[in-house]
Amino acid sequence: MRNTELIDFLQSKLASSVTNISTPREKRVFAETTVDNLVAVATSLKEWGLYYLGTITGLDSGDKFEIIYHFYDDYGLIFNLKVFTPRDNPKVPTVTTVFPGVFLYERELMDLLGIDVEGTPPNRRYPLPDDWPAGQYPLRKDWKGLPSVEEVSK
Amino acid sequence: MSQIKIPIGPQHPALHEPESFNLILEGETIVDAEVKLGYNHRGIEKACESRNYIQDIYLIERVCGICSHSHSTCFVQAVEEIAGVEVPLRANYIRTIIGELERIHSHLLWLGVAGHEVGFETLFMYSWRDREIIMDILALISGNRVNYAINTIGGVRRDITSEEVAQILANLQTLTERTEFYLKLVNDEPTFMGRLFGVGKLSKDMAISMGAVGPMARGSGVSRDIRQDDPYGVYSQIGFKIVTDDHADVLGRVIVRVNELLESYRMLRVLAENLPEGPIAVKVPRKIPAGEAIARYEAPRGEDIHYVRSNGTEMPERVKVRAPTLANLASIREMLRGGYLADFPIVVAALDPCFSCTDRAIRLVDGKNDHVIDWRQLREYSIGWHKQRGVELSKIGC
Amino acid sequence: MLKKLVKWARVKSPWILHFNTGACNACDIEILAALTPRFDLERFGVQLKATPRHADVILCSGPVTKQAKDRLTRIYEQMPEPKFVVAVGTCAISGGVFDGCYNVEGGIDSTIPVAAYIPGCPASPEAIIDGVVKLLERIDQPEHFQEARPVYIGEGESK
Repeated sequence: MRNTELIDFLQSKLASSVTNISTPREKRVFAETTVDNLVAVATSLKEWGLYYLGTITGLDSGDKFEIIYHFYDDYGLIFNLKVFTPRDNPKVPTVTTVFPGVFLYERELMDLLGIDVEGTPPNRRYPLPDDWPAGQYPLRKDWKGLPSVEEVSK
Repeated sequence: MSQIKIPIGPQHPALHEPESFNLILEGETIVDAEVKLGYNHRGIEKACESRNYIQDIYLIERVCGICSHSHSTCFVQAVEEIAGVEVPLRANYIRTIIGELERIHSHLLWLGVAGHEVGFETLFMYSWRDREIIMDILALISGNRVNYAINTIGGVRRDITSEEVAQILANLQTLTERTEFYLKLVNDEPTFMGRLFGVGKLSKDMAISMGAVGPMARGSGVSRDIRQDDPYGVYSQIGFKIVTDDHADVLGRVIVRVNELLESYRMLRVLAENLPEGPIAVKVPRKIPAGEAIARYEAPRGEDIHYVRSNGTEMPERVKVRAPTLANLASIREMLRGGYLADFPIVVAALDPCFSCTDRAIRLVDGKNDHVIDWRQLREYSIGWHKQRGVELSKIGC
Repeated sequence: MLKKLVKWARVKSPWILHFNTGACNACDIEILAALTPRFDLERFGVQLKATPRHADVILCSGPVTKQAKDRLTRIYEQMPEPKFVVAVGTCAISGGVFDGCYNVEGGIDSTIPVAAYIPGCPASPEAIIDGVVKLLERIDQPEHFQEARPVYIGEGESK
């Protein structure tokens, strides 16, 4: 099965960078890697055959941000790669050099969670409006709403 | 040659959701385009975290009015995978029937809009009249023309009676004849083809590297369809034939969509005749155990991805929705570049944009002339421009 | 005399503009479906216009998102008086299921004054036709003219 082929590839070629591999069911594989190894792992995965990056999910897990890259191929196999970055300095490199079409997903991470994606191509902000106040990141768990006018003027 | 900036703003007639493009023109040719989105961003992903799963089904259904069943089924599939429940066979059949009915209504809607964009108003009226047949069936089964609310976690909420099945089968014959007429129109009618052929080119390699999905990719020869690659529901049991076309332009996308209509009619007939007996739902506890799952669904516009993470309570920890139009938007600059301004409306319409799916949550800049036009003016300009070159669609008799 | 003629023309053949302020599109498709052969609003003289400068009635759908708010106000100001605003769908009336979301202001009447409300999720084409016809009947009767809340600049001409 494709699952086992992928797991063999990960364990043989990328054993140092990809850890914590699990397969909850057929056609789904989860694993983790670090921020520094992200672009290299993405390039090897694309060469192996996972040449679509479906979307990038950002989550707020308390003291760190978790970013999940969902790769898949033509046979229905989805590989979910998780990366962690600390909450007080969230940074992650861009993967648009490997997958050109994902700049909008990286813009979502920047706008809604405040994660700094280094190297993403210059573009307008998306999806929040242009006059949205800086420093307000709606998808963070501690964000309860825009500050009202009285609080801002205090 | 100096360049002109044309902002095409969020207000325009005939369907379309608000989005704004900024096009850079040199003379008549589009050199670059920038898309500004976000008008439809309503903060749904954040809102999902403060509602329980059953309320979330209601909310996720309203991400988009045209593909509402796609979003709700994808979400429910992800939650059922986390909870580890197996949906009964009859429920899967019912979900697939509604899914195919939704695909038919969405493609007929799109056909009408495409006709409207090139000036072929008769096609618009004809295909929307046929669409009403499907809306009647959907209203009969679920009680509403849109937003059917047929899904619940563990199955479906309503059953289909044998009279409703008979109604579906009786109407399929009429729809098949009319769609074959549209197919003949797309393949043989020179004026219609003249507007679509060679417009909005997207080569196969570009489609793969930009991550195009759905009929956009299939119209460029890329054979991707979730119903075949990662089958959900009952597609693995009823047999499904993928439809692709090699034209790699707007004509290819139209051919793909019309052929998909015929394929959907065939599948509906198989589904309706073979509906098994059995329960329609299993009971699932309100608190879903902690876990995560990702589900994919082939919506009429392409592939829809939902990622859900639960934390053991009644409310989800994170819901991420990736709608198909967002994946297709990256290709729009490539498609517009080198084309004429007059072809802009049909190229954007061929993408079948559904920005309400995209935003849930294009600037032509440069030059001394700042000229603001709206979509209707652009459409009329495009129809007039082609008329001068001999392509006149209002003279086609139907 | 001329005023009566103009009012008769406005009531018998209103030209409408449609704007979506961030909705899920279901109400917009139902508005378009009201123009197709099954329901056929055009037999009442209703025409869908593209530019605000030609329109008498604006059909708005959707909860007003922050990006769309300025555009909605600008379009409203571009319409010539007297103008009537119709809010189509539950989201346009009160924000609907999105009320309280961070990018949503609320119903249409948080931004511009509304003359008629058509509920439904989505509002079916029959309901849209019913709502528009009721609005036109209100305009037609002089004693209820003010209830339709048309907007005038300067001296009001209510008769």
